[in-house]
Amino acid sequence: MRVDTLAGDEVVEQVTALVEGIFERLKPVLAATESLLATPGPLRAADLHGIRPQVVDALGGLVIGAGFVSAPNVFADQELGFEWWTEGPAQLFISLDPAAENFLDYTRQSWYTVPRDTGRRHINGPYVDYLCTDEYTLTFTLPVTRNGGFAGVVGADVYVREFEHAVRPMLGSLRQATLLNAQGRVIVSNSVRQAVGSLVREVDVPAWWTSGAEPLTAAGKTLRRCGDSPITLLVAAG
Amino acid sequence: MGISHSARSAMFAPLEQVGRAEAVASRLVDAINLGLLADDEQLPSESELAAQFGVATVTIREALVALRHQGLVETRRGRGGGSFVRAPSPASPASWHARLKAVSLSDLRDVGDHYIAIAGAAAKLAAERSSPEDIERLRLATEDLRTATAAEAARAERYFHLEVAAAAQSPRLTHQEVQLQSEGGGLLWLPLGVQESHEQAYAEHLAITAAIAGADGEAARRLTEEHILGALDRLAEAHLGLVR
Repeated sequence: MRVDTLAGDEVVEQVTALVEGIFERLKPVLAATESLLATPGPLRAADLHGIRPQVVDALGGLVIGAGFVSAPNVFADQELGFEWWTEGPAQLFISLDPAAENFLDYTRQSWYTVPRDTGRRHINGPYVDYLCTDEYTLTFTLPVTRNGGFAGVVGADVYVREFEHAVRPMLGSLRQATLLNAQGRVIVSNSVRQAVGSLVREVDVPAWWTSGAEPLTAAGKTLRRCGDSPITLLVAAG
Repeated sequence: MGISHSARSAMFAPLEQVGRAEAVASRLVDAINLGLLADDEQLPSESELAAQFGVATVTIREALVALRHQGLVETRRGRGGGSFVRAPSPASPASWHARLKAVSLSDLRDVGDHYIAIAGAAAKLAAERSSPEDIERLRLATEDLRTATAAEAARAERYFHLEVAAAAQSPRLTHQEVQLQSEGGGLLWLPLGVQESHEQAYAEHLAITAAIAGADGEAARRLTEEHILGALDRLAEAHLGLVR
């Protein structure tokens, strides 16, 4: 019998391993992008083709889309640039001309702004990704730097439904187990009371994150972080 | 009783063929919207397209029918005939006058009813589900309208409602939102260019955003419905003004 352990040790361990596995797939993409950006002389958006092999390699497993998305003015010939591939593999095209009728400004998306503003990796969503997958998505992003400054993000897309299929068995017999993102939004749960995409309001999850995210038991619930990832397990205490 | 012939054949189509025509059509729509295919450019023949996309000719034909319905492709017969791209022109009054004149008020009402159902439901759910990050994006989208010119205002309108649907956390409502926005060649948010209505629309977006930020789903829905009804009224008036 376990006495001194918190509810869900095993779940925390397995979810952490899954999440780290996804970030791991992005490491070669990050390395290739940063080395490309470190090339002396002005860079053109077309030079991004150089990272294509690493991007295509990152696809597979849960990862259905991956690539690099630049910060403004990284390239000499156009304001924005990206190299993004989805399973197929097929290259993604979206309008990058801010004056275009159908331009959508990705620099407002949280998968972009959070790594930019915090310098840290981020898991975005569940959110409706109307720019790329058109689906309910989780996007894992890492900040890319050039000469110490922010130059964009590398990222990987995972469908929420596939993440759910991978994680649901891990929740096993835990009572009312729910995984939340840093905003307190439900990613997956084995309780019908916690609908995917809804916000948990009985605990102030964002405030808990800001104050260090130490394991917390309150109102019959335990809140604990999955490893170093920005995913939280909320589970009935005891 | 029964399933229509096309539903039946779609049901029994080889699995990987399902949705292929939609996929081909959506690639071509993207290419046209991004300007990769220029206005009046002739598309390759159906068999060439089939070979390029690796699908059956009948799938290409189905995709081209969808594009013709959206007015993005026209087919010319005879010598030198084929399928030609009709790129949507930037909203020039001449182009939308023709569209608005051709519309029927009964169709306009029907599309409007559908749009109100979708956008109203999205606003209500957005109020229940928006995080502070979502609210911030809605605020930015609202501000886009304040500084917009007439042509930019149409884009700002579409973008705002797209953000609301996304904040509802519903891929289906978001798809419907996008589809309804392009209904009739983007009729609903035509840049009518009336400064007064433009300022009013900004005030309405502000109020909708405030209701969503305040987690007041019923108010967000009601304000969104009124906002769209206002736009529909202006369209109907403009239509009547053109046909009178």
